[in-house]
Amino acid sequence: MTTHSKIRCSLRRFGLVGGIAIAAVFAGPTSAHKDPVKQEQLKLYQEVFMEEVRKGDLLFHGDQKMAEQLGVADDLSKTGMACAMCHPMASDTHPQSFPKFQAQIAKFATLRDMINWCIEKPNQGVKIDPESEAMKALEAYITWSNTGSVLQPGKF
Amino acid sequence: MSDELDRIRREMHSVLQPEGVRPDDSLKITRRTFIHGSLVFGAATVGQAFAWWPLLNTLDIAHAAETPFKFAWISDTHLYPRSLNTRFVDKVVRAAQEVQAMDPPADFLIFGGDLAQLGKIEELELGVDLLKEIKIPKHYIPGEHDWYLDMGKKWGELFGQPNWTFDHKGVRFIGLDTVSRGPDYWTAKNMTPEERMGHMATLDGTVAGPWAGVGRDQLDWMEKTLADWDKQRPVVIFSHNPLYEYYPPWNFWVRDWREVHEVLKPYAKVTNIHGHVHQVLYNEIGTLRSIGMLATSWPWPYAPEGLPKLTKPMIRVDPGDPYDGVGWSKIDVAANDQLETEYIMWGRKEVFVQSPEDHDKHVSEVIRPRIADNMWPYR
Repeated sequence: MTTHSKIRCSLRRFGLVGGIAIAAVFAGPTSAHKDPVKQEQLKLYQEVFMEEVRKGDLLFHGDQKMAEQLGVADDLSKTGMACAMCHPMASDTHPQSFPKFQAQIAKFATLRDMINWCIEKPNQGVKIDPESEAMKALEAYITWSNTGSVLQPGKF
Repeated sequence: MSDELDRIRREMHSVLQPEGVRPDDSLKITRRTFIHGSLVFGAATVGQAFAWWPLLNTLDIAHAAETPFKFAWISDTHLYPRSLNTRFVDKVVRAAQEVQAMDPPADFLIFGGDLAQLGKIEELELGVDLLKEIKIPKHYIPGEHDWYLDMGKKWGELFGQPNWTFDHKGVRFIGLDTVSRGPDYWTAKNMTPEERMGHMATLDGTVAGPWAGVGRDQLDWMEKTLADWDKQRPVVIFSHNPLYEYYPPWNFWVRDWREVHEVLKPYAKVTNIHGHVHQVLYNEIGTLRSIGMLATSWPWPYAPEGLPKLTKPMIRVDPGDPYDGVGWSKIDVAANDQLETEYIMWGRKEVFVQSPEDHDKHVSEVIRPRIADNMWPYR
C-alpha cells in the first residue's frame, strides 16, 4: 500500500470532521493526497485517533461525564456495570476475531454488533447507533488496546 | 511492563522454588479427584493436553481433621444498591440459600471480601442483610471495594478486626487483610472519597497502583500467631488477594509476597484460599498451595500472562448468562483427612475446559494498559 492510500484509508476509517478539517488546513483541499506526507500531518492524524481512544477508554470504564458528552449516558448500562468490569484492558473482546458467526447473537456479526449486544444483555442498556461517535470511540479503544494482536477473522 | 513482570516472576521462582521443593506429599492429589473431575467427559486429546495438571477439587491434607467437617466460601459479591442492580442481589440470595441448605451443615462460612461494589454504607448493609440467611458462624475479610470510600470505617463497625485467627478441629485458620495498606494516591491529587474509591474499584486502573499487600505489622502478627503451632500441622490462610505474584497490574498478588513466604516457609502444610481473581486458579509455590475462588458477581478473564501452569483453567463462560462462570465453594475436611474444594459454578456442569476452544485464551491476544485515567485531571 502506498503512503498516499494509507492516508486515505486512515481518513476514511476515522472519518471525523475534525480530522479532515485539520488535514485540509495542512495539506490544502485539492492536494491532500498528492504531496509527500509531512510529520505534522502524521502527528495530527495520530492525535485525532488517540482522542477517540481516550473517549472510548472513558466510556468503556463507565465514565458518566463522557457518556453524557456523547449522548449515551442513559443507554450504555442500567446496572452499574461497565464494559471494563468483564474486560479489563479490553481483554477478551477479541476485535481481531471479527467479523464472525457470534453464537450469542446467532448471526454473522461485526464488533459493533457485539458491542451493542453487550450493552443490551449484560449491561441491560439500550443499543446505540452503530454509526455514532460513541460507538466509533468504543471501537477505537478496543482495537487500540489489542494493538499487536494477530488478525484471526472468524475465530470462535 | 512485560519485561518487568518477567523479571519479577523469575525472581519469585528463584527465591521460592528451590530445586525439588514442593508442598508436603500428604497434599498430593488423590485418584478419586482425578476420576471425578472433568476428564471423565473430556475427549482423548483433552486428556492428553491436561492430564498432568492436578485437579483442584480434592486436596489431601494428612492429619488435618480431628473430626470431619465442612466449611463454605462466598466472596466478591460486589453489591450495588438493590435499586440499581438486582442480578447481583439474586446471586447472593442463591449462594446464601445453598450454603444454608448444606447437609450436613458447614461449620462456618468465610466471606472473602468485596461484599460491596463502591464501599457504600447501603451496599455493605445490604450484604449483611442478605447473608443473614446463613445461620452458621461467619468470618469476614475485607476487599478493596469494601474499604476505600471511608477507609474501612463502616466495614470495621460491621465486622470488627480485619485480620483474625482461630483453631478448628486440628486446623489453624488465619484471615488476612491484604487491602487496607495501599499507598496514598489520593491526598496529593486532592481526590474526593468517591474518586479514590472509583480508581480503586477499577481492576485495570493505573492510578491506585500496587495496593495489595500484607504489611510488616501484620506479618509480625502472623509470625507471632503461628509461633506456637506445630510446623507439621495444617494451616489455612484466607486472603482477598493471592499471596504470590500472578499479575501485578490487576493486583493479582501481594507486593510483599517475599516476606509472606519468609514467614510461612517453616510450615509444611499451608493452604491459601483467596478471592479477588473471580476465576478458578491453582498454584504451588514452595510449600504453599493456593486456591482461587469464584465470585458470585461476574468472572474475570485470565490475565494476559502469568497464569500458573498448575491451574487447570475454568471454562470460557457465556456472557449472556449471569449465572455462568460464577458461584461459591464448599470445602470438605473429610474423615479420611482429605480436604476437598468444590466449585459450585451455577451455569455449568463442567467447571473446567473440555477442549482448547473452551479456554478464554483460545483467541490469542496482545493487550495494553488503559490511558485515560492517567490523563487530565490526574495527569
